[in-house]
Amino acid sequence: MPSEAAAAERLDEHGRRLHPLTLGFAAVGIARQMIWPALVGGFGLGDGEIARMVPIVVIVLAVPALLGAAAKYALYRWRLDGDELLLRSGVLNRQNRVIPLARVQNVEVRQSLAQRLTGVAELRVETAGTGLQAEAVLSVLGIGEAQTLRGELLARRRAHASAAAPAADADGAETVVADAVHRPAAPPLARLSTWDVLLAGATANEAGVIAAALAGLLQFADDLPGGVVQAAADAAIERMEGAVVLLGAVAVVLFLLLGWMISIAGAVVRYHGFTLAVDGGEMRKRYGLLTVHEASVPLQRVQAIRVEETFLRRWLGLASLMIETAGGSPGQAGGAEAFVPIARRRDVGRLVRGIFGEADVDAAEFARVHPRAERRMVRRYLAWFLVLWAPFWVARWLQIQPGGMLAPYVAVFLPLLWVMARWQYQNRGWALPPGYVMARSGVMNRITWIVPDRKLQTLHVRETMFQRRLGLSTLVVDTAAGGRQASVVDLAHSTARRLLEELTVRARGARPAARPNDADQVPAGDAPPAPDQAPAPGRANPPLGQP
Amino acid sequence: MSLLDEVQAPPRQASVHRLDPRTVTLWRLTSALWWTFWTLSMLIPWAVWDWPLWLMAPIAALGVAWTAYVPAAQYRHFTWQVREVDVRVMHGWLTRHVTVVLHSRIQHVDTRQGPIERALGLAGVVIYTAGTVGAMVGIPGLAEREAEALRDRLAHLSGTDDAL
Repeated sequence: MPSEAAAAERLDEHGRRLHPLTLGFAAVGIARQMIWPALVGGFGLGDGEIARMVPIVVIVLAVPALLGAAAKYALYRWRLDGDELLLRSGVLNRQNRVIPLARVQNVEVRQSLAQRLTGVAELRVETAGTGLQAEAVLSVLGIGEAQTLRGELLARRRAHASAAAPAADADGAETVVADAVHRPAAPPLARLSTWDVLLAGATANEAGVIAAALAGLLQFADDLPGGVVQAAADAAIERMEGAVVLLGAVAVVLFLLLGWMISIAGAVVRYHGFTLAVDGGEMRKRYGLLTVHEASVPLQRVQAIRVEETFLRRWLGLASLMIETAGGSPGQAGGAEAFVPIARRRDVGRLVRGIFGEADVDAAEFARVHPRAERRMVRRYLAWFLVLWAPFWVARWLQIQPGGMLAPYVAVFLPLLWVMARWQYQNRGWALPPGYVMARSGVMNRITWIVPDRKLQTLHVRETMFQRRLGLSTLVVDTAAGGRQASVVDLAHSTARRLLEELTVRARGARPAARPNDADQVPAGDAPPAPDQAPAPGRANPPLGQP
Repeated sequence: MSLLDEVQAPPRQASVHRLDPRTVTLWRLTSALWWTFWTLSMLIPWAVWDWPLWLMAPIAALGVAWTAYVPAAQYRHFTWQVREVDVRVMHGWLTRHVTVVLHSRIQHVDTRQGPIERALGLAGVVIYTAGTVGAMVGIPGLAEREAEALRDRLAHLSGTDDAL
């Protein structure tokens, strides 16, 4: 490509190098790679010819690696030229890369502990491509240089975006929002105190962490030679069985407590000093105790916000907010990332408004799904219950195993099934505030989706055989977010059809209309849309697929 | 005029299309091939572990029943329409689906043709959006010309704006 050839020339003249410490970090990286084979090889083989060869082999391998790293550093050039970021890398395979700044989606400055101590940072630039790797990784730059470059990249991209014709901007709505929010030194939208972060860790439902801690501890207890636990247990067995049970219970509680502590410590390490600001159409986050993350996400890329409330957090009036973005972002799989790890329930509306501008989440009134949803859930649970208990019933029938104890279990479980179904039903709901679709579901972890009309990609109504018999439908709202979609399960058939029509009109209106506030208006209609309304009765509903 | 009436007003009530009738033949052939494959695959346990050969019979019977009924049922339930603002695809024999793709969200449109489809003179249209689950919406089994015309029409309707 001619532009690439030109780029190479421009780099030859004015290209900049990475920070000299790049070499140091490369050396440390190589040493780290070599140390394990060296140790394992050395100790594993014991004394002898081969063992003595190992360090020599390692050195033989390490030297070319170090030379390669040095050559890479010596030849690496980068340059910010006009509205392009130019990169040249590679020793044998030369690579010239031109990244138009208009395409830049995400710029992150990342600092590990070692990098922080030495005053350098890694700069990652991501474009709209869905590749897993960031398009440009400048590792490492001086921290001042990295910050300046990030500011420059974002500023130039913004200038480029506003220079383009507004009509060509598919997301005019967000530009408006951004301008409204943009003011010098915008106060952060959210800032977490140490107490908040501790709270986030303490209320995180991380069963995996607990289990891991448990397993680790058991391993540890096993390794103790004639350990305290064993001695105590022996003593207890001698005295009475009850003591053993008590000891076991205490141990379990201790394990859980430790898991909880680990979870809290994890949250502090990850989210220490969390601040989030929205400025110039960009959401900027900064957080971390050891590795400091500094990321910015263009608001335009935000497809949906998810409010997650676990049982515990709901009870404490807390929630966590996730954003779903188009494509991936560095270090994040599936396009979902924490927007605010922990927030008070009453702040959620304000936080959502910080991203989506006009969305009034607090005022949204949720309509429930059809009451028959509860019946379907009871049936479903019952089916599971029967499948799980069937072997016992069969065993009893064949007189393999006496089953006198079954009746009490059934007596306890059946009402519980009904209670679970009721809870599910009560937590499910949908709302259509102007310009947005909201869907909520879940008992143990209640999730509320907030999807702007303008981000709707396809709409989907689905009815399984069982749903059709009850006259129920599932509405799925698809966006460009990676992986998960908002859905409302078990709406009345007629409501699902009505929502499908209404959302079609809204989604279409949301794009060409310059003003996001008008998104819900029907082009020629004078009737107001009917948001937050319970299922409309008495509408003739032809079966799906047979229009 | 209510919102619903407005949406369903006559000018927008575009005609509902079925697939080309030859699609049933296409699906029957595909189904027959699969079931033949499964039936014949029972020869392996017969040869290796000496399983009874009659095990092929129930599989073959199921295959015949499936091939006779399911493709026709699926065909009956598959309809599509191109409306003023969107494309709708309705399908599903046991689980019914209605998928709505707005013209403005279409990224690009393909036609697809497998070997059996080519022999029958059929082609399918696939609509791509930036979405996740609905990222690919397919209308299989159209007459070749019809598929090409539909593809061109949808590509034209989709316009040029960035649908992200």
